[in-house]
Amino acid sequence: MGDGRSLESLWKRRSHAFRKETTPYFRYMSMSGFPAFLSLIAISGTLGYFKLIRDLPPHFPITAVGVIALVLASCWTPLRTWLAPADTVFLMPREGEMGSYIAASYRRSTIMTALFSAVMLLLYVPIYRQGAAPAHWLVLILGVAAIRGANLWGGWKERKIAWPGMRRLLRTARWLATVIVLYAWLTFVPWQSAIFTLLVAALFAIVYRLPSSHRFPWERLIEEEKTTHKRYYTFFGMFIDVPTLPSPIARRSYIAWVLRLVPYSRRNTFVYLYLASLLRTEMGGILIRLLLLGGLVTYWIAEDASLSGWGASLVYALFLLVLSVQLGALRQVHRHSVWKHVYPLPDSQRIQHYTKVDRMALIVVAAWLALPLALPLLMQGYYTPVVATAACVLAYIAIRPSRIRKKLRKEEDDD
Amino acid sequence: MDAILQVKQLIGGYSPRRPVLHGLDFEVNAGEMVGLIGLNGAGKSTTIKHILGLMNPQQGEVKVAGTTLAEQPERYRSAFAYVPEAPELFPELTVEEHLHMTGMAYDVAETDFAARQEELLEQFQMLPKRKAFASHLSKGMRQKVMIMNALLAQPPLYIIDEPFLGLDPLAIRSLLERLVEVKQNGAAILMSSHILSTVETYCDRFIVMHHGHIAAQGTLEDVRRAAGIDRRSGTLEDAFYKLVTGGRP
Repeated sequence: MGDGRSLESLWKRRSHAFRKETTPYFRYMSMSGFPAFLSLIAISGTLGYFKLIRDLPPHFPITAVGVIALVLASCWTPLRTWLAPADTVFLMPREGEMGSYIAASYRRSTIMTALFSAVMLLLYVPIYRQGAAPAHWLVLILGVAAIRGANLWGGWKERKIAWPGMRRLLRTARWLATVIVLYAWLTFVPWQSAIFTLLVAALFAIVYRLPSSHRFPWERLIEEEKTTHKRYYTFFGMFIDVPTLPSPIARRSYIAWVLRLVPYSRRNTFVYLYLASLLRTEMGGILIRLLLLGGLVTYWIAEDASLSGWGASLVYALFLLVLSVQLGALRQVHRHSVWKHVYPLPDSQRIQHYTKVDRMALIVVAAWLALPLALPLLMQGYYTPVVATAACVLAYIAIRPSRIRKKLRKEEDDD
Repeated sequence: MDAILQVKQLIGGYSPRRPVLHGLDFEVNAGEMVGLIGLNGAGKSTTIKHILGLMNPQQGEVKVAGTTLAEQPERYRSAFAYVPEAPELFPELTVEEHLHMTGMAYDVAETDFAARQEELLEQFQMLPKRKAFASHLSKGMRQKVMIMNALLAQPPLYIIDEPFLGLDPLAIRSLLERLVEVKQNGAAILMSSHILSTVETYCDRFIVMHHGHIAAQGTLEDVRRAAGIDRRSGTLEDAFYKLVTGGRP
């Protein structure tokens, strides 16, 4: 066997292979309307941002916005390791040399997250300077860099913890502690914040020693890699057929109770299955996150009543479009399942059940997203954009099932 | 006896140029358990796929409960439950949600469902795992879920492919006890397995497959006769060995 250098070259080969594997999908994505959609969001966001920093409202929550922006920039510690289940057989004997391998992963993660942090800081500093700004902005950047570094270290320590419950608990604690530390940096003088940061870091250094830890967290890293890989493919799945990978599942008890409302009868069998898939797969998670983000952005624009309320309608329509494209991925979930052939149910019923779930989900999503659009606009007396948007959405909800049925039949024929 | 499964002159495979199954003829009757045995690649799984309707016969026909899949698809499919060799569960459903969905699909009355579910969970020692997802179950436990689903449906025909892989001794015993029970209640069972001693003990008849042909079928005595060994002595394994190797070491 070779030395650590060969493991580093293995890391490079795997990284290269992943790039090669995903390049065609990025190409398909670039040919879709998605880059245009992103550009639209970026342009409207930039315009809104410059308008904001030019005329910052007197009671703008500078510290709260800073904490939210910087906590994302500080706590998020993704790690691409390219590790696969077979590595517990072939790489595990070289565990002692894995330092150089994982260092390559950390180098990549540090660069990527530093870029993200830099963007967040670049956006926040002009706002920060218009407030009390207890620290010079350069000192704030140094402070955030230190917090970022400490979080990277904390992220690794957590990955090594043997008990999943404890790992989740400490991760939550780290995020909460970062919120408090950032609040300190934005409200206290730098030397006080620095001492507080050091004390919190020391406390975590002690706490991380308490739970049982792995020397090298093979299973955790393999699981994480699988999840990341799956996320890429869920994203690509919005634009083109992709190889089906097992979807990570979350229990989501806060919403999965809906499953119990499905009446127990044969004619609801596939409704039950598709609803479970919608609620518990990664796709459901993406839908929920998109819905929250969409609600927030729509509310901001609606509150601002930009373009006489039509701006909010446009943002609403864009988010609903992305959500319905994402919802369409549900078609792929059981496309190749053997059970759809084995269960004693006609195929026509499966298509009918699928359409039912799709329509219900779309109605819920559209209604939820309509609240932050309609309430602020109606209260300010902008009725036309709300009525026009509602009419368009109802028309879309009416025509979507027949389009879905057509697509499902075509896919069945292709299969 | 009523034939629940009838396979007549079945020729099949993935390519018409190279059929894997060559004119299979057999039946499985109500109230009997038939063992399907053969070496790896003999054609057992392909035969099962044809019965399930996942593959279409190139020639011949498969009838379940007196109908082909093309004639009455719903009647055909609701007449059997299938336990695959590799457990295939829905990752987004818990153990009890799998049973719930099977109950719905096979139209098990809601009043019977609750009692059957509890009985199966208890019998297969799965009560503590009832809320677990497939990814949190061992292979043996996943196989138990497949078996419980099949037993919950109580169909006239069970198609069981290598059911013992990964099962613990208690689960093997529970499964065999339940199979004997459903058989006594009139169900037909087609079970493929490599554990010849168990097949010999529990099955009433045997189908020995070799290179896509039926090398022998019938009772143990019939299989022994086909293998050319003494009709009253020798195990199924002895006869099987003779049939597939021609007696060569």
